[in-house]
Amino acid sequence: MSAIVVAKKDFRDAVRSRVLLALTGLFALFTVGGAFLASRLSALFEEGGAESTLDLILALQTPAGFLVPIIALFVGYGAIAGERESGSLQSLLGLPHRRRDVVLGKVLGRTGVVAVSILVGFTVGLLGLVAFVGSVSLVDYIAFTLVTVLFGFVYVCLGVGLSAMTQSTTRAAVGAVGLVVVLWFAWSVLAQALLFVIEGTVIPETIPGWYIVMNSVTPDAAYGSAIAAVLGAGQFTASSAYEAQGLLDGSVPIVAEPWFGFVLLALWALVPLALGLWRFDRVDL
Amino acid sequence: MPSIDISDVTKRYGTDTALEGLDLTVERGETYGFLGPNGAGKSTTINLVLDFIRPTSGEVRVFDLDAQANALEIRKRTGILPEGVEPYDRLTGRQHVAFAIESKEADDDPDDLIERVGLSADAADKKAGGYSKGMTQRLMLATALVGEPDLLILDEPSTGLDPNGARRMREIIREENDRGATVFFSSHVLGQVEAVCDRVGILRDGHLIAEDTIEGLRDTMPDQTRLRVTLDRVPEDSTAALEAVESIDGVASVTPEGRTLVVACEDRAKTTVLHTIEEYGVTVEDFATDESSLEDLFVAYTSDATPAEVAQ
Repeated sequence: MSAIVVAKKDFRDAVRSRVLLALTGLFALFTVGGAFLASRLSALFEEGGAESTLDLILALQTPAGFLVPIIALFVGYGAIAGERESGSLQSLLGLPHRRRDVVLGKVLGRTGVVAVSILVGFTVGLLGLVAFVGSVSLVDYIAFTLVTVLFGFVYVCLGVGLSAMTQSTTRAAVGAVGLVVVLWFAWSVLAQALLFVIEGTVIPETIPGWYIVMNSVTPDAAYGSAIAAVLGAGQFTASSAYEAQGLLDGSVPIVAEPWFGFVLLALWALVPLALGLWRFDRVDL
Repeated sequence: MPSIDISDVTKRYGTDTALEGLDLTVERGETYGFLGPNGAGKSTTINLVLDFIRPTSGEVRVFDLDAQANALEIRKRTGILPEGVEPYDRLTGRQHVAFAIESKEADDDPDDLIERVGLSADAADKKAGGYSKGMTQRLMLATALVGEPDLLILDEPSTGLDPNGARRMREIIREENDRGATVFFSSHVLGQVEAVCDRVGILRDGHLIAEDTIEGLRDTMPDQTRLRVTLDRVPEDSTAALEAVESIDGVASVTPEGRTLVVACEDRAKTTVLHTIEEYGVTVEDFATDESSLEDLFVAYTSDATPAEVAQ
């Protein structure tokens, strides 16, 4: 398999990046910090047992939801554009690899790199949890870790997809930053604005279904939904807060259902990847 | 069956024309030197052959296969040394070669190839990010040689090589050609091509303006000679003397430089020139000739003069 050969080479090359090492260190710091804070908070409220593992995971989801996309985009944005810039793409494609094998190999290799980074961060986080809390549900923790790796894969696809569509690393980087701005800020501002325009207020008495849908479709919300599905705990979805307060207008839209998180994650991975493949296959190098 | 067959290929980028109606054939088993100044379209041509870019019109065939549709099959049988490529900084030289071997499903020994291109085993264990330009070029040549390719495409292979490296490169090109490989290599320096090539094509502004064997190219040159004649003194009637020499059949130009006359003429006019000068009462103290080299022809071809002017 040509893509596997490329992936192996790419993993070896990318995993040695110093910036990646720094980001992984930062990630480990955040997970351990999150574990510490969460243990303090749960100690205050004097709750223990299985519930606290969920609380702790909830505490780790925040740094993961923030740093995994950054790590994955950093690892992904230069994957193709960088090789194009340095000219090494010509020696890579001079070997018998199809262009799509190169893109797929890059996605696999860089997902491997991100997975290593996540595993390091979460292992450190786990050690922190054991130290601060004492007992952790290992099954839940492993499930959480696997969903996070999937989440990393989604952002690698976004990054590599962008990288395959652009001529230079500068453009790919601008695209990656733009993506973060849109997904993390602009999208929720837009949802708020629409809510105001349609409902006449930003705090309506019941939340309309479309607003829940809008808040559920970003990769980050889908990540929360997927965690909720795996752990069987509703508080990770975007709609959970409204649901708990009885603010929902009707039932939970299907898009906001926990299991639908996996569908959304798949779409967020495959659509940009397909666009990148399509574009890269046709372009003059 | 030719190894490379480019017929009537045009490549445009927007309004810029990189190649126009290019016809080029590289026969199986030959070493073809692809010459031209920088920016003439050499890399564009190579990129078309490798399907890195697609022609605006025309057809590119390699091993009688369509360059676009059969790119993978073609690359399995081709070794490529692209121009000015940076290696993967964080992989060692040996890892580069091993990757090429794995990609080509070949059974070469990386160490043999590394030794063959003159890269030390020590250097091969170091990360390629720290390589000099010459070391990178040797490394890339090693990866190009993987799997005994039927066709070797070398784009400006001597870039960054010291004289020893350039000699090694020429030896390897000869060895590969003896093995049966077709070699297609581009250069903007004639000297590198002259020594190893069976045939030479000269590209300028996207057109192939000359294509022949080295001997053939020499033959298209008229036997121009530059004759430097040193006299004991300037002749009294120097104007008449100059006119007399200029009027000799076969003399192209006469330039006085003090007591020396520089005469560009055909070989057959040499003795007449000397006799004519002596008729003006001066003695020829010394004379020298230098034959114009193929380099002059190349420079003439690739500078602003049109080929027609050069041939005259």
